Amino acid sequence: MAPALDELLDEQLIEQPVHAAEVPWTIVVWNDPVNLMTYVSWVFRRHFGVDAPAAERLMMQVHTEGRATLAHGNREHMERHVEAMHEYGLWATVEKAPR
Amino acid sequence: MKITVPTADAVAEGVVGVVLVEPEEARILVSLSDQLQALLAEAIESPIDDDSAMRRLLPDAYPHDPELADEWRRLSRRGLVDRKIGFARTLSTALATVVGDGIARSVPLSMNAALDWVRGIGDLRLVIADRMGIVIDGDDGTFGEPGLRDVYDWLAWMQDGIVQVLEVAEPGDGNSA
Repeated sequence: MAPALDELLDEQLIEQPVHAAEVPWTIVVWNDPVNLMTYVSWVFRRHFGVDAPAAERLMMQVHTEGRATLAHGNREHMERHVEAMHEYGLWATVEKAPR
Repeated sequence: MKITVPTADAVAEGVVGVVLVEPEEARILVSLSDQLQALLAEAIESPIDDDSAMRRLLPDAYPHDPELADEWRRLSRRGLVDRKIGFARTLSTALATVVGDGIARSVPLSMNAALDWVRGIGDLRLVIADRMGIVIDGDDGTFGEPGLRDVYDWLAWMQDGIVQVLEVAEPGDGNSA
């Protein structure tokens, strides 16, 4: 991970003036005791199109920290992701991105 | 039960996996899938999820915003329930013939069928976990009636096997749903 670069990008994002209706939203996937780690990784690869190492990292984040943010964007897009996650049996919610 | 990658001929016909099923295995899966369909059908009738398994099958998308949560449920719930019923129905329809014949059969899975199986089996596991009282990682559950844990683990094995044949059929990363 390269936190310095991430932080830089985050700062740039936050400094953009954002219209209230366009507040960025995120999709969060939560840990659950039922779904297998291999299954969760596969769902992340298949649905979000991330590569195997990224899927593994996100899955481990869900497993150890209890949650991970999988995507951000407008609310409509995030709701579509949540619906897909619920179809796969994953526990997912939509949240406002931290400002 | 045995889950295998199909022959080249079958692949050409769109088969991604073959599941060899014993009649007893088919009977268990059909029974569970029928129960799941009935449970989901009840959810269409009742807008309030008083069953904790339903709350896990159809989680709240906005746990901290009742207004957005209601709107989302109004727009998405019916479709989600219908699709989940469809996943379970794919399982029971494919396996009903094995039960009827009373002998082991190879059930070929198309891509769509395999995706239905993976998700239907996942939903079965969510409901069984709820009935067993599994709430945290590594939990064995509080109400495990004998045999239920075996079914739960067997379903996990089955789901994993189908994911493996799907990965052969969809090689590489980034196959968007």
